[in-house]
Amino acid sequence: MNLINAFFSSIWGFLNRSFHRLGSPREFFKISNYATPIFGLLFTVLTGYGAYLGLFVAPADYQQGDSYRIIFVHVPSAWLSLFIYMVMATASAIGLIWRMKMAFVVAICSAPIGAAFTFLALVTGSLWGAPIWGTWWEWDARLTSELILLFVYWGIMAVYYAFDERQTAERAMALLAIVGVVIVPIIHYSVEWWSSLHQGATVFRDGGPAMPASMLTPLLLMALGFTFFYGYVLFLRARNMVLDQERKSRWVRELVKSSRATGEAQ
Amino acid sequence: MSQTNDTPAMLAINNLECSRGDRTLFRQLSYSINAGQCLHIVGANGSGKTTLLRSVAGLVYSPKGKIQWQGENIQSNPSYQSTMIYLGHSEGLKNELTSVENLEFYSCLDGHSDQSHVDGDLAQMGILECADLTANKLSFGQRRRLAFARLLHSKAKLWILDEPFTGIDDAGRALIETICVEHLDAQGMILLTNHRTLSQSRLAPSLAVLDLMDFQSSLDHS
Amino acid sequence: MAQNTFYLFARREWQLLFRNTSALVQPLCFFIIIALMFPLSLPAENELLTRIGGGVIWVSAVLATLLGLESMFRSDYHDGALEQWLISPRSLPLAMLGKVFAHWSCTGLLLALFAPLLCMTFRIPPDQIWVLFLGLMLGTPSLSLIGAIGAALTVTLHRGGVLLAIIILPLFIPILIFGAGMVTQQAIGGSTASQLYALAAILVLALTLSPFAIAAALRTTIN
Repeated sequence: MNLINAFFSSIWGFLNRSFHRLGSPREFFKISNYATPIFGLLFTVLTGYGAYLGLFVAPADYQQGDSYRIIFVHVPSAWLSLFIYMVMATASAIGLIWRMKMAFVVAICSAPIGAAFTFLALVTGSLWGAPIWGTWWEWDARLTSELILLFVYWGIMAVYYAFDERQTAERAMALLAIVGVVIVPIIHYSVEWWSSLHQGATVFRDGGPAMPASMLTPLLLMALGFTFFYGYVLFLRARNMVLDQERKSRWVRELVKSSRATGEAQ
Repeated sequence: MSQTNDTPAMLAINNLECSRGDRTLFRQLSYSINAGQCLHIVGANGSGKTTLLRSVAGLVYSPKGKIQWQGENIQSNPSYQSTMIYLGHSEGLKNELTSVENLEFYSCLDGHSDQSHVDGDLAQMGILECADLTANKLSFGQRRRLAFARLLHSKAKLWILDEPFTGIDDAGRALIETICVEHLDAQGMILLTNHRTLSQSRLAPSLAVLDLMDFQSSLDHS
Repeated sequence: MAQNTFYLFARREWQLLFRNTSALVQPLCFFIIIALMFPLSLPAENELLTRIGGGVIWVSAVLATLLGLESMFRSDYHDGALEQWLISPRSLPLAMLGKVFAHWSCTGLLLALFAPLLCMTFRIPPDQIWVLFLGLMLGTPSLSLIGAIGAALTVTLHRGGVLLAIIILPLFIPILIFGAGMVTQQAIGGSTASQLYALAAILVLALTLSPFAIAAALRTTIN
């Protein structure tokens, strides 16, 4: 009994410590020194290999020919647009509940990346639609809810940049992100319902033909690679933001001094 | 703090730091006020007088430092809000409502079940003839008097008054001073800001002065 | 407590709205004008108007609600009333529920009551008018409740109006889809139950969650 207790309390202690370490801007900066290049490397390797498999190794589709290959960008982008939203909303909730600075940094740095992936999903969807559907834009349920998601992202970013005071801006933005978490699924559901009324069956078949492994592998690799890309860009943006926010603190001053010194030495 | 052995001070500010945007207004501000005391906060324009008052009222949250009421943080303390009144630069009066209606709303908000004292309060503040005028027809001084009428029947122990004597005539000023002195005699507490010194006023005997310039950060000037 | 917080704030809001009749009438006029712009901009075919009428009235109602929301907290912010609510011992979410209820009864409810008149100009058949009215009665309170969150977030900003539209209109989309969809379903003879339930579910969700979100938004922006 005591052993189990000790086990859980040590795990709790570890989680608690790592949570607090990540919560301090200075510790975050230290960790990101190592994490950023690792994420960048993983992104390059995974996306490079995935793109190679997807573009050269995977067979052409028997209906769509080579044009389907845009799926290797389209689907990972669409997936990330939702994933990043969930990260942003979770970080927002953590920031609001525990008043943690770093959580807000993660949330606000995620928003433009999420919006960019949403935009990419829309553009690639439209490019894909042109040869397959014969039109650049189709009022398809997924495209439409993706478009509304882009508006939600814009709204969240607009709120952040509308306030002068940083604390107010990040809390207002976090609150809106959390409100969005409740409403975005409802939007998705409503658009799906509306679209089924609008055009009968969507072009995307539910549970369509199973994807062969030769296509599935590059798709998953690309999705994983994109996720690391998100992590990589998030770290880069968050590092900048932390340096800017903490520019008055001693550790940033020393960092600047030492990097100047090495710059002069070279 | 020095009072650790005694009962905790009614209102204690501990190592408070407030900033507006990037600028730190003051830091490491510690002060405590006990029943029957009036604290006059002085400092140059922009030194953070209003921000300090708003922090104590619970409108501004500062992550650094603590503000405690009877030993408990004011943020997680609902009983604090029913024992505190804050009157800021804007009076919170609705232009569309009459003096009586405005006062009745705040009397309700403060938890009075009976509003029969409202007319008497207006008379005491010398604005009974304005009772049925809508607030947009009142002069600035009359609006101030109407706002202060709320203090007369309040159950609040702590009054936080931002520039109470601004825009008010001598008679009005004397009136407000009398109300404040009565409040202090009844073991109340007052936190106020004022441009000029209060050493000549009737509040002087129970007056303490807190100069925010003493808590300005030296870092900012570097 | 002396008087119920919900009632205290609702009564105050009613007093204010009835003394300031322009705030009462403006959204309604806006609603009617927007709705009447559509027939003028479309080919003069009665059949087309009948088909799109439900959607047009819903879009107009959404825009008119947005117009009413913009001023919801503005004067309370400028005259300092808002900060008095924040530091009062009263429950802020309950107070805001009362305020939004009174506000809805003078905007959304009025729009819903006037919508049947507009329907006649669009030559919408009576059974669809009834469905549209029901949809508006269920949908406009959600619009006010969700919109109040946005109004609270933008109240301190100088040009909050456009920002309010940007952040709130996407969130209004499900209500618009279900509300206008009800009319379409009725027109093709289908069952309107699923949209009705969806609107009711959204209203329940908005009633329970948005007062807390409004209160949190006000506490965030006022400092």
